[in-house]
Amino acid sequence: MSEVTPERVAAIAAATHIPLPDGGAARIAGALSPIVARYVAEKIAMPLETEPSSFLAVQLKDAGL
Amino acid sequence: MTDIAELTLKDLAAAIKRKKVSSLEVTKALIARIDKWQPKLNAFARVEAEDALKAAKAADRALAAGRAKGPLHGVPLAHKDMYYSKGKLAECGSKIRKGFVPTTTATAVERLEAAGSFRLGAVNMVEFAYGPTGHNVHTGNVCNPWDPTRITGGSSSGSGSAVGARLVPAALGSDTGGSIRMPAHFCGTAGFKPTNNRVSRANCMPLSFTLDTVGPLARTAEDCAIIMSIISGPDPRDPTTALAPKWDAKKAKRPAKGLTIGVPKNFYLDNLEPDVAKAYDVALTTFKKLGVKIVEVTLPDQTLVTAAAMAVIAVEAATYHAPWLRERPDDYGAQVRNRLQNGLTYSGIEYLEALRWRAHALEAHLATIGKCDAVLAPVSRAVAPTIADTDVGGAPNAEGVIQGITRLMRPINYLGLPTLVVQAGFGQHDMPIGLQLIGRPFNDETLAALGIAFQGVTDFHTKAPKLP
Repeated sequence: MSEVTPERVAAIAAATHIPLPDGGAARIAGALSPIVARYVAEKIAMPLETEPSSFLAVQLKDAGL
Repeated sequence: MTDIAELTLKDLAAAIKRKKVSSLEVTKALIARIDKWQPKLNAFARVEAEDALKAAKAADRALAAGRAKGPLHGVPLAHKDMYYSKGKLAECGSKIRKGFVPTTTATAVERLEAAGSFRLGAVNMVEFAYGPTGHNVHTGNVCNPWDPTRITGGSSSGSGSAVGARLVPAALGSDTGGSIRMPAHFCGTAGFKPTNNRVSRANCMPLSFTLDTVGPLARTAEDCAIIMSIISGPDPRDPTTALAPKWDAKKAKRPAKGLTIGVPKNFYLDNLEPDVAKAYDVALTTFKKLGVKIVEVTLPDQTLVTAAAMAVIAVEAATYHAPWLRERPDDYGAQVRNRLQNGLTYSGIEYLEALRWRAHALEAHLATIGKCDAVLAPVSRAVAPTIADTDVGGAPNAEGVIQGITRLMRPINYLGLPTLVVQAGFGQHDMPIGLQLIGRPFNDETLAALGIAFQGVTDFHTKAPKLP
């Protein structure tokens, strides 16, 4: 994840054709920046083979299923 | 016999089965109670008295003829207004779905009705289940039965309020970011968020297809276990449940002695109000007396897990709502629209990174808890705040208060863990306090065993609010 700016939020809104009110992009960037920054700071590295359904495999393994 | 409204789900079903009380008497008694409490609480979206009385009479006739349907025969229930019942309104706490009549029935509801329960109506909820307090600009705020000036928690606000006030013995809620657990804590009920992929979500209003879970709020852990035993297991209409085990009733009734509870050294016990901290310590002592082994655990950084959870829920909720965000943005309440628009923060790659990391985050969590059967944590740092103090449109520090009370929720959804909330005391302003037992994947039954044992030696779950 990268830095959240009002310009970036406005660009995603435009690309998805979702209208934002005046100041909406700035509000979203302000609200979400700290959360995204926390994730960015971790620089998470994952094995190439990980996919979303790997989660289910971990669940089942722990349950012995 | 005891006041009908005071009976637990288990005792109510048994009384009907043994013909100590008829389903019709039960239904009339609950409707009378709703009539008294509803003006104070706004717990119900609608009460379908006429249909419920007909269903009760039919249940009594069937029982007399020796044709009892199942363990909930003749029990009236009401669920969050996002569970579809064919031909009945499901307005999802919204203006956008006003008048929506589904043509299908939720699997969870079908299973509860196959077990003999029937619909008394539907209970209110936060708009589209996307809010933690119980505020709703469309249907009105739902109020806490212990003090109507205080929040119920959300988004299963009506479920918490109705069960807490003894208007119904149990109600389905849903939990994507704490929406069963917070109302249970704030309203003094038990609540069960199942392992993700354990209970079918077919024909329920979705919020986040990765994080949504379906579960009950009820008076006791045992009542929650009864509901879980009925709704758990595979459903072809929700393929994510394909590998879900059916409920193991024997495991859910095993003694607590010999089980292990982890006490988190980080995150969950930070910055608690003294009343919540005291309730936690007392509960630990109770579990020790029950023969439960207590060990300390250091969990992975939960703020990181929370950040990942927020990416997933934000994008998935915005995706579901994109057509209406494009065409009817003004038909949302301002706070819910803002939350939905927050999904515009993330790129596709960022969203999928958050989804991919979920497996590793769960592995890390399981590694840190070792052989613990559960981790014991508060649900929230404090008892229910007031509706006024959490009004985002009015109170100056509402966002801060809300962040404080919801902080302990999202990691559990992201990790997909089962969690049982049990009543564990009363704190400031005589408001209830709940604690959450956080389990291992597909080990929901162990939480039931711990909760049932805990409630066998405590009486917080027997306390009822008085009509305000």
